[in-house]
Amino acid sequence: MIAFLPTLAEPHQFSLGERLVFLALAALSVYFFWRRFGPILNRIWQSKKDPDFHLRPVGRRVWDFVWEVMLQAKVIRERPLAGIAHALVFWAFCAFALVTLNHCATIFGLGFVDPAGRLGRLYFYFAAVFAVGCAVAIAGLFVRRFLVRPKWLGELSWESGLIALLIFLLMATYLAAFFVANASALRALWWAHTLTLLAFLPLIPHTKHLHLVLSPFTVFLSRGGFSRIPPLSGDEDFGLVAGKDLTRIVSLQAYSCVECGRCTEHCPANNTGKILNPKEIVLGLRGYLNEFGPGSDQLLLGKYESQEAVFACTTCGACEFQCPVGIEHVPMIVGLRRGAVNTGAWDDDHGAKFFLALERGSNALGMSAAERDKFVEKNALPIFDGTQEYCLWLGCMGGYDPRGREIVVALVRVMRHLGVTFGVLRKEKCTGDPVRRLGNDLLFQQLAEANLEALAQFKTRKIISICPHCVRTIQEDWKEFGAPPEVEHHSEFLARFASKLTPVQSQEKIVFHDPCYLGRYRGVYDQPRKIAALAGELVEAPRSRERSFCCGAGGGLAFLGEEKGERVSHVRAAELAATGAGVVAAACPFCNTMFRDALAFQASESRPGAPAPELLDIAQIAARGLPEN
Amino acid sequence: MKIVVAIKQVPERDAPVRIAANAKWIEERDLAWAMNEPDAYALEEALQLKEKLGGEVIVLSAGPERVGSTIREALAKGADRAIHIVCDDLAGGAGGGLRNLDALSVAKLLAAATKPESPDLVLTGLQSEDLGLGQTGVILAELLGLPHATLILHVEKTDAGIKAKRELEEGWFQSIEMPLPAVLTMQSGGTKLRYATLMGIKRAKTKELRVLNAAELSVGAPPVLVLDQIALPRKQKSTQILGGSPKEAAATLVDKLKTEARVL
Ligand code: SF4
Ligand code: SF4
Repeated sequence: MIAFLPTLAEPHQFSLGERLVFLALAALSVYFFWRRFGPILNRIWQSKKDPDFHLRPVGRRVWDFVWEVMLQAKVIRERPLAGIAHALVFWAFCAFALVTLNHCATIFGLGFVDPAGRLGRLYFYFAAVFAVGCAVAIAGLFVRRFLVRPKWLGELSWESGLIALLIFLLMATYLAAFFVANASALRALWWAHTLTLLAFLPLIPHTKHLHLVLSPFTVFLSRGGFSRIPPLSGDEDFGLVAGKDLTRIVSLQAYSCVECGRCTEHCPANNTGKILNPKEIVLGLRGYLNEFGPGSDQLLLGKYESQEAVFACTTCGACEFQCPVGIEHVPMIVGLRRGAVNTGAWDDDHGAKFFLALERGSNALGMSAAERDKFVEKNALPIFDGTQEYCLWLGCMGGYDPRGREIVVALVRVMRHLGVTFGVLRKEKCTGDPVRRLGNDLLFQQLAEANLEALAQFKTRKIISICPHCVRTIQEDWKEFGAPPEVEHHSEFLARFASKLTPVQSQEKIVFHDPCYLGRYRGVYDQPRKIAALAGELVEAPRSRERSFCCGAGGGLAFLGEEKGERVSHVRAAELAATGAGVVAAACPFCNTMFRDALAFQASESRPGAPAPELLDIAQIAARGLPEN
Repeated sequence: MKIVVAIKQVPERDAPVRIAANAKWIEERDLAWAMNEPDAYALEEALQLKEKLGGEVIVLSAGPERVGSTIREALAKGADRAIHIVCDDLAGGAGGGLRNLDALSVAKLLAAATKPESPDLVLTGLQSEDLGLGQTGVILAELLGLPHATLILHVEKTDAGIKAKRELEEGWFQSIEMPLPAVLTMQSGGTKLRYATLMGIKRAKTKELRVLNAAELSVGAPPVLVLDQIALPRKQKSTQILGGSPKEAAATLVDKLKTEARVL
């Protein structure tokens, strides 16, 4: 059947003059490409080596590459329409690799795919299908960018328009060659395609289309692990202080950003009027590298990065989760904080008081350790001595905060009911989560080491905690200083025993809020829902699971005083209340405190008269149906 | 300006304090230690003066080996060098530190180490958080033969010497001028403390730490004051039912509030 379709036509003879012109233009094109791309590559290469980089496990890298680059899964999943359009363009580019090589070879009579041959016809039609898809897609993307104009794409850029036009021309000139028979028209078409190609090449490194070349590497070479904070190395590493601290991975990522704005679109800080814009953090590093280069002593916080912005981040990880080219924002932001805090450059009243309280005391709330003792005594919590199955980690919120304590008490009731043995440490210090994210490595190390020592004393094997921040910090961040015991969040524990729990069924709808550190950081979405669903009908907030919107407390911000602009917690609480649910289920004591105030505010100010939904931790939901004592 | 800051290591504020078996001191095992808070303010004031005027900040501390961690903390926060007067032996063995010394003996040790430095200014906290005698700094001034002022919140350099802000009762302040060299004992809260940083700790490793042996300082004379016994305050709760008619009961209540509870 394919035989009845038109055949791709190519001009047959090229004069020597044409060949020379082609060679000259091609050389020029490559020259302009390299003149820009060479220095970029050099800046990436001259950056500091990543001390903890390992190519292994390669399997994961290959999988990420196939999934995110070849299949464009992330691009499509997060923005389906634009994502598919992008994928069509990308796949067409892949299909065109051979077409383009063959196209250039024909001028020297070296064409290696015969358009009339069986295989050749098949291949050119294959490419033609992609060319049609690509032409439609790029036209669609053009309309979106220049007519629909979603605000996340930022200012209109003529470059994008030009690139779209060139891509469209490439496809059109390819497809037209199937229908042209006239020799001079064919020649004109060949040249049109060639010139478009040669114009396109130098544009790549001059525009955000640099990601065409870099992002496959960025995805393949990513640091690995979600929002992983790399260890410092040597006596002169204090985080990202100046250009000399930028590592190759950071620089590669800085040059890979396609300015799509997905990170900003999902950033809770940016959405509530803070000056933080994760995209600008990345582009700031790029700007810095362009001006000062990777070896510079010029401080990073200054012309290109703002200290206020960096300290407005909740480390929720929404940006990093969304980024289609694998940029890891949280290590960058925390890196810049480390640079400021580890050198003492960060001067913030709340921050300094908070650090001092933890230098001298044991907990993030700045209370006397005796308060925890009293709580332990009053509730007759057994002391962990190594014989019990679980070490119940109270954490600062569970040990000192009234709401956090209620959650612990509820969990303890459930554990006792299930006959699971547990004990609490006699002395416990803050895991160091907030100071870790604020960039205070000295304090973090002291806290991690003290805790690891206390746990090792009793050969602790399993820890359970009500706080996703504690879980994350113990499991991942402590690794730098020792081998932490296995740790799990109480939602994981409770879900395992779900069949033995029968909380009171209410007629109410329940909405579960995914804590950032449980969801995106740990990938735990279903377990807490399983518990919440025991007590009523589960409904979902518009932004849930991977897309959950932060409560505003993470990254140490809970301890830094009043936010500027709108409160993140208020925005999220309004969203949760708007689902019409009677119960908001939380699984993190920080979310819990944030929402308690925010829901009360909701009820009193923005929706007066409407009853505030009840706020419960999943442990409290699980405990509700237990027989009294 | 050359400034000596005398600091003391005290039990961390949260530390569970238990009385030792012989009731002469607290049980020191398992205790966590920290810099005496008013001394931390003295150090901060010294560092700020240095940042403004240049010069040198030398920390000075007397105590057993464990004091080293507090000295390192002071170096990490920005002091230039340190002197540690090790006085385990004077304490009669077994990790006693300063407990067998009275304020005079400690001040003598500090004075002996300070004198050869001939500093422009000596700063120390107005009292320690453990014993709270509030005398060491003042005696030190006397031994050095220098003028002193107490309860200082803030110090400024003037042409003739310094201007210092003293805290008085009920929110009153006093501003005084005095010549240098001088000794000041600092009150907490006059300024913002800085937090310790990783860079500070790393830099501190290369700073000079001179160790002096208390015995070698030969300050002579045994303590004139000896700590005999310590005890926890006795908690007392008592309930009295006041009888009689309401009028009589009210009168007795007023009387008791005045004479016994002394709240009226
Ligand atoms: S981690 Fe969250 S708050 Fe921080 S920049 Fe990314 S999206 Fe914004
Ligand atoms: S950092 Fe990633 S998500 Fe953000 S604009 Fe750049 S490419 Fe898009």
